[in-house]
Amino acid sequence: MKSKWDVIVVGGGPGGLFAAWEAAKAGKSVLLCERKREMGVPVRCGEAVGEVDFTKYISMEERWIGAKVKTFILVLPNGKEVKLKNDMYTGYILNRDLFEYDLATKASDAGVKIVMKANVTDLIHDENGSVKGIRVNEMGESHEYFASVVIAADGVESRIARKMGINTTLKPDDIEPCVQATVSNANLNENALYLYIGVCYAPGGYAWVFPKANNCANIGLGINGKYASTEKHSKDYLDEFLEKFFPHASIQRYVSGGVPVTTNLKTLAKENMLIVGDAGRMVNPMNGGGITHAITSGIQAGQAAAEACTDPGKIKKIFNKYQKDIHKQFGKNHESQYRIKEVVYQLSDEEYDQIGEEILKLDISKRTFLRVFTQVVKSRPEFLIDVVRAYAGI
Amino acid sequence: MIISLQHCDQCGTCIAVCPADAMMLDEFKVKIDYKACTECGICVKMCPIAALEVKNEV
Repeated sequence: MKSKWDVIVVGGGPGGLFAAWEAAKAGKSVLLCERKREMGVPVRCGEAVGEVDFTKYISMEERWIGAKVKTFILVLPNGKEVKLKNDMYTGYILNRDLFEYDLATKASDAGVKIVMKANVTDLIHDENGSVKGIRVNEMGESHEYFASVVIAADGVESRIARKMGINTTLKPDDIEPCVQATVSNANLNENALYLYIGVCYAPGGYAWVFPKANNCANIGLGINGKYASTEKHSKDYLDEFLEKFFPHASIQRYVSGGVPVTTNLKTLAKENMLIVGDAGRMVNPMNGGGITHAITSGIQAGQAAAEACTDPGKIKKIFNKYQKDIHKQFGKNHESQYRIKEVVYQLSDEEYDQIGEEILKLDISKRTFLRVFTQVVKSRPEFLIDVVRAYAGI
Repeated sequence: MIISLQHCDQCGTCIAVCPADAMMLDEFKVKIDYKACTECGICVKMCPIAALEVKNEV
């Protein structure tokens, strides 16, 4: 295989695949290295995306849809269900393994060379500190590849950026260790997204129940890292949860993962490297959703990388623009969401129950997510400005 | 103290929180660079599925 490429992408999740695809569409030679054995496997998350954000970039294919949902139900610590109104928002639970497999096919059709079981062990730097290439362990053999631009799409681990001198280490407060079981015989009452909020379910996080086809569901939870202990891991919380609410369900698949719940990395471009998706902490810290952010940043990074290859003299300008654009699109919003998270996940179970009772008094046509937060604001007025900011997108 | 791996799922949570950058994933599981490891134990706590275990050296 040839060793010189225009663009090297490290990581074959949605962010890396879109980045590679986009750069290849612009006529660049692209190598994508993925550590795992199979594209899209194991799945790392709850697989939920919003229709509007997702279909902005790619049209949905039937086989990627695990379920389509239009209803949200919050379950309070006392067990009461609060159904929320939802006119505009449709959610999909993806079959993310199939989605990523197909993305990889599309990307390679466009010319991306994908190598699997390719574990990037080191960056090769030049005398100016730029990255010239990568050292890869491919099934026990070490190979070196060189490129004009390297895109770090290596997910929550984010070691490529670390090797470029960016501190990506997450503090315990800023990560949610998550675990999820895909179960059969789930017997949900409704085709809805259920979010269980409360310290009793998942301290500093929430538990989710997302429907999938054939009476299956993704049932998982994340706790805040500061509550993780050697006595009680995320999986222990999930086992309790399943035993309590789904004693008859059978588990078909366990997955685990760490979700960054912090603000985006300030540095998303350094020398000739760009960072996308989870590696750049582009996750909504309130709900942990990051698929569409990975896609957005991947596409833009792919375009920026291609532009920089065409016009190397302007690389600094092009990459600065990438960083700025990402910050504008969701960096700022995530800063507000982060402050909301800090308040919401500090509430006690009694407070959650009280807030829920107030919402339940409203007619369903008035029960929106915004309403839930304004109810929280009544007990914590200092929190208002962040809710307004987050919802106004500023 | 040593940290032993029981049933790693390769999710990378431990790597993301390791302050010493002493952990990395290969194709199958997490590898620990014992020379860099400061034995802070944060990876053991944070592992979602308790795949890491602290064992006292014999």
